Amino acid sequence: MILQMNNIQKQFDGLEVLKDISFGVDSGEVVSIIGPSGSGKSTLLRCATFLETIDGGEIQYMGEKAVHTDESGRTVYVNQKELRRFRSYYGLVFQQFNLFPHYSILRNLIDAPMVTQHRSREEATETAMDLLTKMGIADKADAYPFQLSGGQQQRVAIARALAMKPEILFFDEPTSALDPELTGEVLKVIRQLAEENMTMVVVTHEMAFAKAVSNRVLFMAGGVVVEQGTPEQVFDNPQEERTKQFLRVFER
Amino acid sequence: MTLETMIITMSSGMLEAIKIFTLTLAGALPFGMVIALLKKSRFFVIRAIVSAYISVIRGTPLMLQLLAWYFGPYYLFGFNIGNWRFPALIMGFICNYSAYFAEIYRGGIESIPVGQYEAAEVLGYTPAQTFNRIILPQVIKRIMPAVTNEIITLVKDTSLAFSLAYAEVFSLAKQISASQASFTPFVIAGTFYFVANYVVEFILKRIEKSMDYYK
Repeated sequence: MILQMNNIQKQFDGLEVLKDISFGVDSGEVVSIIGPSGSGKSTLLRCATFLETIDGGEIQYMGEKAVHTDESGRTVYVNQKELRRFRSYYGLVFQQFNLFPHYSILRNLIDAPMVTQHRSREEATETAMDLLTKMGIADKADAYPFQLSGGQQQRVAIARALAMKPEILFFDEPTSALDPELTGEVLKVIRQLAEENMTMVVVTHEMAFAKAVSNRVLFMAGGVVVEQGTPEQVFDNPQEERTKQFLRVFER
Repeated sequence: MTLETMIITMSSGMLEAIKIFTLTLAGALPFGMVIALLKKSRFFVIRAIVSAYISVIRGTPLMLQLLAWYFGPYYLFGFNIGNWRFPALIMGFICNYSAYFAEIYRGGIESIPVGQYEAAEVLGYTPAQTFNRIILPQVIKRIMPAVTNEIITLVKDTSLAFSLAYAEVFSLAKQISASQASFTPFVIAGTFYFVANYVVEFILKRIEKSMDYYK
């Protein structure tokens, strides 16, 4: 297991957003999380990436505990230094890209590997140029984020996450901020990564994409995982009424 | 007194004004950042103290603050303030301008989207690295127009040193004007401030332009 989350609970001002969620991701798996807005799917990703602290439960990467709830019910995280080590296991692609506007595209890709992973400039640059080539934007290496289209920026963001050589890559609605005509180029890149057996968790509203790319689909609603299974099971033969109701909206 | 002698007599005052300006900036630009960061402290007491400090500094005239810095040690502790004039002047200016710079910095820091912090955090930057490498460069770009405004005001505010009878250009202009019954010294002083600000504006515009390569 690359990621294992057990009995995750999260509240915002007394409102339960995640109610006892457990889920794991195996190496090479592509998991899509679908569900209505407010179902807690983005919050789940933000808890997995420590951007939000959980109120109860356990998170493990590579079999190591990053946070657990002890006997007295207190949720205990490892210290900041250890947390940074855990962060090297994963990458996160945001809905809003969040590229660093004052850095060139190349610098966006090499700065963190050099500063936080102490890699040499030569090595970081080589990795970065390979990734940009793969994303089809090697010619933009010296450009700045504002000079790129949304689709190109999101591909840079994916490359920036991959430059850290993570074990698992999370996507938080990676195409929601893009024009319909630009979503295709981003989805294509994610699909390509799936073919290379990159372990990924994708929160998405792109149902056709989720169906085509994932090994497993989780349907979340109201802070719980309502149903999960292969794409065929969840999309073609949903068992729960809530799932059917949600999918009907997309069929129309 | 000829125009030439007036200018020569006042030139020492011009140097003094430049000295006040330079020392104030050298102190207030960094000290303002310290205050801005303290105002974002986790501890309520620190935030409250800093807020009160900013309120007092912004709520009272700079001239009064200069007088307080100069005469305060004598009235409060009975200290001899013989050599205290120039230090008091610089302390007053630095403390006053730091408060304004602090508010500009704070506004700049708070204008950076939270996504920048989150992206940096996920990439493993420490909080200090995040601030120095990711946040601060963007803050500097955003606050340049406001900082330029403040620096130009500072050039003119150096004239308030006359309230401690410190011999900078405006004090000298007043003296010479009184003794020679002439308005010319004020014209010279005015020209000095204008030219100084013209140079300041030119330099700051260059700096602002150097950060134009990104949006």
